[in-house]
Amino acid sequence: MKIQKRLYSYYLIWPALLIYSAFFVLPAIIGLYYSFTDWRLDRIAIQFVGADNFTRIFTDDILLLAMKNTFIFAIVTVVGKNVLGIALAVALNLRLRTRNLLRAIFYSPSILSILVIGIVFTPLLRTEGAVNRILESIGLHGLSQAWLTNPSIVIWTIAAVSIWQTTGFQMAIYLAGLQSISKDYYEAATIDGATSWKSFRHITLPLLLPAININVMLTLIGGLKVFSEVFILTGGGPGNASQVFGTIILRTFGEGNWGLGTAINTLLFAFVAVISIPLLLFMRRKEVSE
Amino acid sequence: MGYTRRLQIRNYIVEALLILLSLLIILPLLLMVFGSFMNSTEVLRFTLALPEKWLFSNYVTVFEQGGLGRAFLNSIVITGISSIVNVVTSSAASFILVRRETKLANALYLFFFMGLIAPMSVITTIRVVQWLGFYGSVASVIFIYAALNTAFSVFLYSGFIRTIPKALDEVAFLEGANMFDVFFRIITPLIVPVNATVAIMVFMAVWNDITIPIYFLTDSSTWTMPLSIYNFYGLYSRDWNLIFADLVMTSLPVLILYILAQKYIVSGLTAGAVKG
Repeated sequence: MKIQKRLYSYYLIWPALLIYSAFFVLPAIIGLYYSFTDWRLDRIAIQFVGADNFTRIFTDDILLLAMKNTFIFAIVTVVGKNVLGIALAVALNLRLRTRNLLRAIFYSPSILSILVIGIVFTPLLRTEGAVNRILESIGLHGLSQAWLTNPSIVIWTIAAVSIWQTTGFQMAIYLAGLQSISKDYYEAATIDGATSWKSFRHITLPLLLPAININVMLTLIGGLKVFSEVFILTGGGPGNASQVFGTIILRTFGEGNWGLGTAINTLLFAFVAVISIPLLLFMRRKEVSE
Repeated sequence: MGYTRRLQIRNYIVEALLILLSLLIILPLLLMVFGSFMNSTEVLRFTLALPEKWLFSNYVTVFEQGGLGRAFLNSIVITGISSIVNVVTSSAASFILVRRETKLANALYLFFFMGLIAPMSVITTIRVVQWLGFYGSVASVIFIYAALNTAFSVFLYSGFIRTIPKALDEVAFLEGANMFDVFFRIITPLIVPVNATVAIMVFMAVWNDITIPIYFLTDSSTWTMPLSIYNFYGLYSRDWNLIFADLVMTSLPVLILYILAQKYIVSGLTAGAVKG
């Protein structure tokens, strides 16, 4: 006991604990309180208004659209980044001559700022931009689109840009996972006459669960918190067609509508917690039983 | 046809498909690099071609007009200091959290872990920073970044420190070492690779971020590179050659870091994949 106290004093935790509590936890707790008030730029006295802000989120058309877009973005990117990430990792785990180069190429966009990616894609996605020109040159006129200005597809376009950028990051985690699987399993399966698909389904996928677990969590949480992608590509437009919670919070901040802004943040926190905590527990259990 | 031969053919097909797919990644990036050397009319075609004449002068123009020198220094200060603060505080905290096997230590670990899930509450963070009296300052942004990355770093460090046998500490203790000796002379040398991983991951995340500067850096003299480019993009929206040059310049530091420090990034990813 003496050695415990002498060697491992809680003093060493204080710096991290103080910074983390003051600049992350405290704002979250204050936010919980302000969510139930009419805190505004032009109010001197802040009043408790119960669930008014939340009622407004669920009745205002723009806010509902932002909620819908946030979920579309999160689901599309989770599926896209993980399915493509696993496919790329499995392919780039084969003995290919160019595999190191290819891995580096697929990973490279994820080290760049979304600002860079967003600005590069803006001219490419215009109606007369390169994406449509390429589609037309290979005879797919029907697929050409006003990618960033058609309200019904704009959020999908933004999700696609995000998938383009960071699937390589997911791929790298999956590759690390694949490399921790012993080759013996595959040899045994081949001797038993298993097809590639069967090996993938019964060896690769179950043993890749820790990596799938962390990747789904990362992409899901990141997806629900989306802000920069939308901010740079469309700023929430055209009109409000691509607003998400992240961009709406910036707008309420600019308008001085702070109570509402914090309420949206609180709701976002609730969504993230309600979806990710059970998922985390479920995946943990699955990992153990497989 | 033998089994190995079939596998070989399959690999050729997969490789060909992957090379085609990789063009999808390379071409937009090449468009940016080539475009950054073009003149302002040539670049507006937005087609993939080598510049008629390589105008290195675009970079000089951007550097002077975009105020990039200052932005670069701001980025270095903010990114560098917040990475260092994060590495020092998180590794020290993780050391205690892992070694003390008490309920309190466990609860504190979960308290930090929560930060991986919870979204940041921006508007009230501004409030807190205002109360503390340094809203708009570089220092506030450094603390915010250190706080935002604490959860991730504690998670990485704890996983690693757990693999260092406690017996090492005990032997040192019996020979008269105190807490600081143990932490700095036994633990720190063993976690050098993790320090590198954490520092690089934090550096890249902070360097590339635009969210915090948008909310917290109200004075243009404190802007980081991405934010000053965003501003430049608004002002010079016709001069795409300059915009591209600007983008290439922001990307260079992280690109160089990535090339130099690749193995540390990979080991960070491996820790995530294997431990879950």
